Formats: sequence, C-alpha cells, structure tokens
Amino acid sequence: MLNKNANTPLNERDLSITAETTTKDKLLILLRKLVFDHNYILSLIFLLLIGRIASDQFLSAASLINLFKSAVFIGIISLGMSLVIISGNIDLSVGSILGLTAAVGVVVFNATHSIFVTLFATVGLGFLLGLFNGVFVGIAKVAAFIVTLATLVGYRSITIQFGDGGPQIVDNDAYFAILRPIGYGKLGSIPYLVIIFIALTVLVWFIMTKTKFGRYVYAIGSNENSARLTGINVKLIKVAIFAITGMLTGIAGFLYITRFGSVDVATAGKSFELDVIAAVAIGGTSMAGGRGKIQGSFFGAVILYAIDAILSAFQVPAFVNDLIKGILILGAVLLQKALDKERTE
Amino acid sequence: MEYFHRSTTILERGFSCIWKCETKSFDAVKAVQDVSLTVNEAEIHGLLGENGAGKSTLMNVLGGILRQDSGEIIIDGEDHSHLTPLKADHLGIKFIHQELNLVDDLCVYENLFLHNELTHGGLVLKKREMVSRSREILKKMQLNIDPLDYVRDLDTSRKQLVEIARALLFDCKLIIMDEPTTSLTNEEISNLFVIMRSLKKEGISCIYISHKMPELFEICDRYTVMRDGKFVATGNFADIDEKQATEMLVGRSLVHEVVEKSNTVDENTTVLEVQQLSCTNHFNDISFTLHKGEIMAITGLFGDGRGELSECLFGARKVNSGKILLKGKEIQGQPIIRVMKSGVSMVPRNRKERSIIKDMSIKDNLSMAFFTSKHKNVYVSDREETQRFEKSKQETNIKASDPDNKITSLSGGNQQKVIFSRWFGLDSDVYIMDNPTQGIDVGAKFEMYQLITKLAEQGKSVIVFSSEYPEIHKIADTCLVLYKGEINKKFTRDELNEMDVMYYATGSNKKEGAQSHA
Repeated sequence: MLNKNANTPLNERDLSITAETTTKDKLLILLRKLVFDHNYILSLIFLLLIGRIASDQFLSAASLINLFKSAVFIGIISLGMSLVIISGNIDLSVGSILGLTAAVGVVVFNATHSIFVTLFATVGLGFLLGLFNGVFVGIAKVAAFIVTLATLVGYRSITIQFGDGGPQIVDNDAYFAILRPIGYGKLGSIPYLVIIFIALTVLVWFIMTKTKFGRYVYAIGSNENSARLTGINVKLIKVAIFAITGMLTGIAGFLYITRFGSVDVATAGKSFELDVIAAVAIGGTSMAGGRGKIQGSFFGAVILYAIDAILSAFQVPAFVNDLIKGILILGAVLLQKALDKERTE
Repeated sequence: MEYFHRSTTILERGFSCIWKCETKSFDAVKAVQDVSLTVNEAEIHGLLGENGAGKSTLMNVLGGILRQDSGEIIIDGEDHSHLTPLKADHLGIKFIHQELNLVDDLCVYENLFLHNELTHGGLVLKKREMVSRSREILKKMQLNIDPLDYVRDLDTSRKQLVEIARALLFDCKLIIMDEPTTSLTNEEISNLFVIMRSLKKEGISCIYISHKMPELFEICDRYTVMRDGKFVATGNFADIDEKQATEMLVGRSLVHEVVEKSNTVDENTTVLEVQQLSCTNHFNDISFTLHKGEIMAITGLFGDGRGELSECLFGARKVNSGKILLKGKEIQGQPIIRVMKSGVSMVPRNRKERSIIKDMSIKDNLSMAFFTSKHKNVYVSDREETQRFEKSKQETNIKASDPDNKITSLSGGNQQKVIFSRWFGLDSDVYIMDNPTQGIDVGAKFEMYQLITKLAEQGKSVIVFSSEYPEIHKIADTCLVLYKGEINKKFTRDELNEMDVMYYATGSNKKEGAQSHA
C-alpha cells in the first residue's frame, strides 16, 4: 500500500510526457524502465561491482569478454528455451540434445572434414530431436515436462550407445586446421563464439518481437484458449518452438566441438538444462508463460557465469558454490516477482 | 483512487446486517459504490439489478470473498468489516453462488460437507453420520437424490438444489441466494419457496437475487435496487408493482434509449445453413437458416448447450453429425483458421478466459485475428499496426491512450470493444457472438448493440448467443429458444416477448405435454 502511494506521482509524470518533459523526468522514466523492464542489466552491473571488490582484474576488458565467452553454450540454448518457456512449456532434454548432436558432429566431421556438412548435420539432427519433442507435446498433448524428461534420458542413452561409452575425438590435424580457428578465433579482441552468440540473440529477438510467429508464441503462453480461438494453429506453433530449440541446441553442439575437439558421450551437456532454465528465469521470463524477453535470457546466461566468476574470485569453496548460486537464483527471481507486482499495481 | 465515508444506520432489533458505502473497484471501473443495505431478522430481502449492476460483487463482499475498499459491515450490532469466507461462515452467513461450486468427482454428501467434514478427533471421517444428515436435509427439501451419488451424474437443476442444500445443512442466520432458480423448473421453484418460508419462520434471513419479477414479488418482503453499482432505492414490495420495479431497475433515462433498428433482413439470400447438427451430451438436431443482414438471437437457460453450439459453428469443437453450410459450402469439420477464412468470425464468451491475451498489448490483441487469417508478410510492421488501431479506435470508440499498453489496463467494456474490432477487421459474412456483453457496464452494452446493428446494416449476418432478454429484445430479428440442447421454439421479431421466451426456455411446454400425456 505504502509503496503504491509512493509510486503514484511517478506514474502521473509518466503519463504526461509532453513538451514540458524535463531532463529530470526523462531520467526518471529511463530509470523506471531500467528497473522494471530491464532489471537484468542492473543485476549484472551490481554483480560486476561486487566482483570488483574481490579482484582489480574483474572489470578488465579481457575478463569481461571471457565472461561472455563462457556463457556462450548455455546462452545459445537459453534463447531457444526462452521460446519454450514463454509458450508455457519446458524442455528438459536440451543437455542430451547437445551431447548427441555434438557426438554425431564429431563422426560426421571426421568422415567429411567439412565445416558445412558438420554444421548441417548437427543443426539438422537438433531439429529432428526437437521435432520429436514437439510432436509429443503439441500434437499428442502430453505434458512437456514428461515428454522431455523421457527424451532427456532417452537421448543420452542413444548418445552413449552411439559412442560406445567412450569419448568421440576429432582427428587432431583436421581439428587444428579447420575447427579450432572457429572455437578460439577472434575478430579483433572479440571471440567468434561471442559474435555468433550475439548474432543469434539478435535473430531470435527479431523473430520474437517483429514477426507474427513471435506474437503467436507469446499468445499461446499467455492464453492458449484465446490464441486458438483467434485461429492460431497452436499445435503447429508448439512443434515449431521445440524444433527451433533443437536447432539452436544443435548450433551449440557444433560450437562445442570447435571449442573442445572431443565429446565425452556420458557427460557432454549433462545437466545443462538446469543452468539454461536458471538463465531464462534470471532474465525475467515468467515460468507461467506469456511474458519474457530474449535479451533477458542473454543477460541471464551471463549473470549465471558472473556469479560463478565472483565465487571463484572470492575463493569460495566449491562445495558451497552451488548453494550460493541457488540462493542467488531464488533471490533474483523473487526480486523480479516483487518488481512485477509493483509495476502492475 | 478509492474513497468513502458515511455514518451509521439504525439497528433494528434482533438480527440485522448492515452494509454500507462500499467501493469495490475492478479494472478502474467501480463495481459497487456507496451502497447501503439493511436486512432484518426473518426477512427475505430481494436484491434487484441488471446484470453488471454490482449485485454479485456486493454479495461477494458480504461472503468475505472480496474485501470492500471502504465502508462497514455491521452484523448484530457488531462491526465485522473485515470478513473472510471463514469468518462469514462462523457468523452463519451462507452463500449460494450463481455459478455452481460443486466438485464433480465427489459424492453429494462429500460436497455437502466439504470443508465442514464431521470427524472423529479431526482425523477420521464420520461417513455414516454425514450420509444420514445429508439424507435428512435432502428429504426435507423433498429431493430424490441419494447422498452417495456422484455430483457429476446430476443434471444442472439438481446440482443447483444440492448447492442450496449445502447452505441449509448447518445453522445459519443469513442465506444469500444469487439467482438460485435459473435452471429450476416451476415445480422445483415452488418447493424452494416452501423451504424458504419455513426458514423464515425459524428466524433465518435471506437475500434473494433474481431477475424474475414474479418470483421476487411472491417470496420477498423488502427490496433494494442497484444500478451501475450504485444504490437506487429500498422499500417494501407491498408498496410497489412490477412496472415500478422495472423502472427503478432499468433507470428512466435508459428506457428511452432504444437501438434504432431498421429491417435489414434479406429473406432471399441465405448465408448460413445449419442442418441437423448434433453433439453428444450438449445439443441435438439443431437446424436453422441465417439470412443476409439478419441478427439471430439464440437463448436458453444454463445447461442448454448454447455455448457448445457456438463453438461448433466456429469449428472450435467437433460435432457428431450434421452439416454447416456457408453460402452453400460445407465448413463443418474444418479447422478454425479455414472457417475464419471462409468468412465466419467469433466473439467468444467469457472474455478473460477465451478472448483477451492478458500479457499482450492492446494493439497485438486487436491484430491477432488479422495476423492469422489475412496478414501476408512474416514481418509485422509497427506503423501498420498502429494505423489499424487508430482506425478501430474510431470505429468502435475505444477509450485507450497508448496502444502499447497491456489490454488488461482497459475497462471491461473497452476490452470487449478491442475484441469486437479484432473481428471487424476480417470483414466476415457471419459474426457469431457468444454472450458479447458479459460483464460490461450499461453504457458500453448500448454501444455494443449499436455496433451489432451496424453490422447488419452492412449486410453481415449476426448470431448472438445471449441469456439476457432485454438485449435480445433490442437487437434480434429472430430468436431461437433452446431447451436441453434442442430448439424448443423459434420467434420472429413481432412475436418476441419475455414471458414466452421464459416459458419455452424453462421447457414448460414440454412439461405440460408430458403431464397431460400421463
């Protein structure tokens, strides 16, 4: 109640953005937008400042770039996961899809030594695996949690069978000649991986905000009934969402090979789904569907790794690490909930 | 945003409840404002008001379900302004809701005792006792219902009676009945009245909400009239007649606001033809034809299969048999998007659940149907969408400043105008509207009627599914009355009157037929 009253004058000012808007008002409006709509940026800045306390090097360009680079795999998958969660679903199988596409990618690359064939294979396989999820969720109408829980274990099992339990390793010479330049290459001082991550974020952001498809995804997540009654083909859109997530995970799988040169079939991508979902949640996407921003997930992934970096900068023992991470994730989401309530009131 | 004042009311002897000066606001529209209501011991108090007058809101406040923004509730001389459902229950206030609140998957007796279970030491249920007490109460109500039957197997009128039985099961001082007779037959209604009279003798008070004047005059002692969420009048039924009551109800100013309606029906051009449409458990053997420029109302009481019929016409629900021909072309069995593209639009009932997309902007909500059926590009142009909004805003008189605000920032009436505009943009031949004026204020309703008649003037055909007679009277060229999923009667505009519509909607004709047959 108190907060509500405190907010009212700001609201009124907000409504009267006319010629008389002063610089101070403009600043207030900007601040309001930053706090309510883009608070993940504030969270990130806050975390970085904390990191600065631990180490002078924390805010150096090199360590910032490193932070973004480490977030690439989780980040790219979280773009797809955003679609899934905004539409009111969940995909637990992304880690296993990454493992399988990467493992198959290694074999394809070793056979062809071609970047394009490998990329095509990983993305194509990701598409098919996502499609399989989507068909069960969208058309057979099985709960997404159950479908992807089944494929989480199923896809992993296929991966292990496929690799006979051992690691899949890219031929050494070919790796250094062809793949490594992608995984470790830089444009100026910015790694290709980060550029690809940003490019994909922009692409998915464009799809979600500027196209009809994006509108449909939000509509389905917000109110599936209403969406259906405006003529949206809910089944098809759901299948597409899972297929797109599969493809993005396939891209992450490809980049995984370029970076590491080998795939351990039992562990590659294992429990990625948890980090990915955490990234999306930190980015402000509602788990109930209907609301969320792609750029939020981008920063969410970075924040997740910023937390890691801070904890290691403070030399927090590894076994406490996850506990603190868990608390921070909960705190971030609670904060968002509170802000959201504040805004709607 | 909320304010209010006002002082005491005289306490009458014995039991009395007083509510005053309540301001309950929803979506920037005040649902109830400055209403005082006094109920005495052993009094049946009739609460009158059109749909959307705020009666249910007021009763929800009294039942502790909603909290008033201001004003006080005085019961037996004590201030109980902060009611919760539990407190209201302890005070002996029982609320029989308009919507059925029964759990289908539990037995009748389990529903009756839901949340008030009799137990041994708070753990083990006393099933036998609960069953026998249920049996007692049902017998007292002269109902032939076994407490061990599952609620899902009962038909609507019996469910409503079970709901009433639930209130009678425990000691109570005040029973609120929110339109308890909507799906009851005449015989069941007179049984209910017998029970109400005996309760009255025991000193129990009752607030009776209904639209049906004869019932109100028969059973109630005093009345309170509400209009647009405001208090209008209170007094004794003995002092007024039905005409006066109606005038208070509708408000003089509105009596004259007649929708100007010319005859737009083109009898020679059939647009939609429905042949023997059936859907198991919902409706059976529905056939009718809709002409160009015709506004057809389809009405009936709760449980008539009306909602399901509207969905089937739009392709949103599968039918078991029958045909739907649009301009001679079969559209039955096609997905919604095809039906839309063939020229059928639909404004669904229950705006919150079925039409608005709450997390999206006004603009996106408006354009959604256009996107799915007419929009050719993948890319959505912000400029075009804003233009579309500005155009619709003028057409339907939407009161909204920024189209990028969320749809939920609008009042109910304006939300519904956005939904109307959503479909007007498609330029369809047939507009199906299921309860289009649900939960919006009187002024906005009137605008809706104007929009609907304007559609007819443009040569569109409209089917309005409605349960409000005044609305049907204002706009309909023809009216189908459903009873238990079948067309019981078809009226033309000249034959239309409320008594006859009610007569056929309650199936009274069938009942007499059956009795004379026996």
